[in-house]
Amino acid sequence: MSLEEDLRRALRRESPAPGFAARVLERIERDGEPATQVRQHSGRTWRAVAASLTLTALLGGWAFTVHQRREGERAREQVLLAMRIAGEKVRYAQQEVRTIGSTD
Amino acid sequence: MTAIVPEALQFPTAFARAQSGDHDAFAELVGKHEAMVYSLAWNFFGDRSKAEEIAQDVFLQLYRHLESIESDSHLLFWLRQVTTRRCIDQLRRARFKIVSLEHAEDVAASPRVADPLLDRRLKAMVQELPELQRAVVTLRYQEDLDPSEICGIVGMPVNTVKSHLHRALQALRRKLEKHP
Repeated sequence: MSLEEDLRRALRRESPAPGFAARVLERIERDGEPATQVRQHSGRTWRAVAASLTLTALLGGWAFTVHQRREGERAREQVLLAMRIAGEKVRYAQQEVRTIGSTD
Repeated sequence: MTAIVPEALQFPTAFARAQSGDHDAFAELVGKHEAMVYSLAWNFFGDRSKAEEIAQDVFLQLYRHLESIESDSHLLFWLRQVTTRRCIDQLRRARFKIVSLEHAEDVAASPRVADPLLDRRLKAMVQELPELQRAVVTLRYQEDLDPSEICGIVGMPVNTVKSHLHRALQALRRKLEKHP
């Protein structure tokens, strides 16, 4: 047999698995878009995932900054309170010194 | 007096009915051409799931462009062209792992098959050809098209098609002689 005849036989048409037309119609009803566009959708999905991750990172960064600012304010308030207490104690000590001095 | 009405108007073809939005007629069209479209992709890639995916894509594209198809013969040309181009594009985009002879899928038994082993070897050898040679060989021997018909589908001058075909046959002969 010649190569050309062998090729005709080897490359003869074959049918897809049964129900092919039904699967095509199902795809048309479902999305009406070719699989390559479905893959573009998955590209879009990846972009959406990337965008949401970026947003999460930004929000996380912002929350961290707010947290740090609040911690700083709390520390400042504690320092001021400590200074106020220390000031009162110093005033009390001065008063005591003065009282002892006047009785002498 | 009775008017002479063309037969096509009396009994509109599946193609004409599909164009007017008849889903059953479109399914009929798919059924009529599915083996041709599927086999072009199957002979090109040697991968049944890939062939199914490409064939589905082609028919979805057809569904969306049905209005631009002018006739049954244009439909046949369009399907061959779109399928072949999709196969070449897909291969260029993501070079497929070539199916080796050991892993080639079994060919369904058919009374027409004289030597199933030779068929499998030839199929696998065709799938190892460069994409344009592969497309030309598939259109020539699966679809039994002449180079003058193939050139319109692949968008190449007829002499280039002949040259691809010649080189492909030479390569196949060499491989067959090397491993008889």
